[in-house]
Amino acid sequence: MHDLVIRNARVVDGTGAPAYAGEVAVKDGRIVAVGPRVEGPARAEMDAGGKAVAPGFIDPHTHFDVQLLWDGAAKPSLEHGVTSIIPGNCSLSLAPLRAADRKAVVGMFQQIEELPPEAFTIAFEWTWEDWEGYRRALEKGLAINVAPLVGHSVIRVWVMGADANQRAARPDEIAAMQDVLRQCLQAGAIGLSTSFVDVDENARPVPSRFAQFAELDALCAVLGEFGRMLQIVPEFYDADITIARIDQLAELSLKHGIPTTYSPVFDNRQTPASVDRILGRSAEQFARGARVWPQMQTRPIDISFSLLRPSLFFARLPRWVRVLRQPLEARIASLTDPETVARMVEDAGPDGGERLMGRLVVRGGGEAPAHLAGKTLKEIADARGQSCALALIEVSLEHGLDVAFLSANGGHDNTDRIGPLLARPDVHIGAGDGGAHLASFATYGDTGYLFSEFVRGTGALTLEQAVAKITGETAAIWGLKDRGLLKPGQAADIVVFDPDRIGRGEERPIFDMPGDGMRYTRDSVGVEAVLVNGELAWTPAGYTDAKAGRICEMAG
Amino acid sequence: MTLTVQRRFVTPEPDETLEALAARALPDLPLEAAMDRIRGWNLHIFAMRKPRGLLLGGDVVFVEPPQS
Repeated sequence: MHDLVIRNARVVDGTGAPAYAGEVAVKDGRIVAVGPRVEGPARAEMDAGGKAVAPGFIDPHTHFDVQLLWDGAAKPSLEHGVTSIIPGNCSLSLAPLRAADRKAVVGMFQQIEELPPEAFTIAFEWTWEDWEGYRRALEKGLAINVAPLVGHSVIRVWVMGADANQRAARPDEIAAMQDVLRQCLQAGAIGLSTSFVDVDENARPVPSRFAQFAELDALCAVLGEFGRMLQIVPEFYDADITIARIDQLAELSLKHGIPTTYSPVFDNRQTPASVDRILGRSAEQFARGARVWPQMQTRPIDISFSLLRPSLFFARLPRWVRVLRQPLEARIASLTDPETVARMVEDAGPDGGERLMGRLVVRGGGEAPAHLAGKTLKEIADARGQSCALALIEVSLEHGLDVAFLSANGGHDNTDRIGPLLARPDVHIGAGDGGAHLASFATYGDTGYLFSEFVRGTGALTLEQAVAKITGETAAIWGLKDRGLLKPGQAADIVVFDPDRIGRGEERPIFDMPGDGMRYTRDSVGVEAVLVNGELAWTPAGYTDAKAGRICEMAG
Repeated sequence: MTLTVQRRFVTPEPDETLEALAARALPDLPLEAAMDRIRGWNLHIFAMRKPRGLLLGGDVVFVEPPQS
């Protein structure tokens, strides 16, 4: 007897094959039958009402490492139909990590991924140092499947201590890193991540950036023993450097027989040729037999911020970053110091920040007056007879800094161009950054956005292609075992959704982080049920008590 | 499959200085000129980074100008 049969379904199986009217049977957490008609009785039945029934979506670029310790569903990812996530990207993971090194690594997480300090201090107990211990801590309450990467910077800290972000590693240290990586892979890590761009909370390059290529090569030799992924963050702001990184990845992929991926890759109106050059180089390397997957996000670059906390919006304005990283009292003192403010305005550009900040829109905030909501900073500045940069500072000060601004469509927003890029067979859809940049943007609903904009909107992908991109193809790229397809023997990770409605809700602030911390979120739209390993995990009525998530096993 | 020609680069050796890297990468140029060229072709290291010019083991260091 089946545990569950989903009837009246439009089966989209994750292979890209045409959808068809059919049924899906589940038993013991696995799919046991899929077809136009499933035989045999079932303990429970679900009527899909003719809606799409697809494999659960897989998100390959997240930073849910810490959130998973108190929220095993990685909310709200799961309600958007995501049933498997890959944390540990960008050289950062929470293991292996000695107690004495926690502060340093947490500082990196806070700086790079914009996570609040309370996320690391009040919501869980640190019970581990090695990867096996971290895995046990994770497994206590997973509602979503997790396929974690181990971070290169963290491995460096484990082996080299305080020297990790000071120097090249000695041969004995590289050998020790190989041993540690091997242990992590044996204990459930699915690959290695590294970064060539990130800095820590002291603005110093993260440890992975001090590694010689020979060190990375040695670590990739270990990945090659397992056939596992290397993920990197290249210097995505520069096409020439990104292409150099692609060539390095190709060398590593061919030499060690491993898949590699780099993220993010953005389309940009200012340099439209860049993305074509980058993807062209990847295609050349694929033709040589290398596996060098560019990860591209679906959504435009929208960044929200207030002066209550540092924001990546100011990444190219170091003085602003320095001021905003101060404790609140010192920050307000700086923002009311005429000399400091004059320099900040000067740094914003010869036009007083009009080009950089003029199109910012006030989106409200706890203390923001309603009459400002929806206005551009240029409109506000003109009305006040001030430069945009000065108006930004003074309006914020007048309302306790609690005025949120939105920088909308800061790139990657030309849907007519992006759709065909996402549809390319050599482009991997991902790079969402779920679980990070909490006060800057909500990545949740990137999957829904794929369908609303590029299936129903521009028609760049068919429904079946879009599903395959974020299910079967993703599982194959990463080597996830028994995930990503609706076929007998696969894990019963299933999403039921309305192809005519699926999308993403409006971005809105909520205060559900530890210490009542704020983050932006989006509600799911058009998702009707999510099953993880055969158990109903979410419906529009809410989350169930199911804790059926697993650490993903790897193929091969 | 022949790869298209892309901008050439090197990666730093352990503890390599700009002087040593410039001499290695551009041996036919006088040292000062070689260093100036390396600086000018690698603004991500010599202009955008704090501290400026800190050579990291993982760096891509271009040894020719951008292709037109």
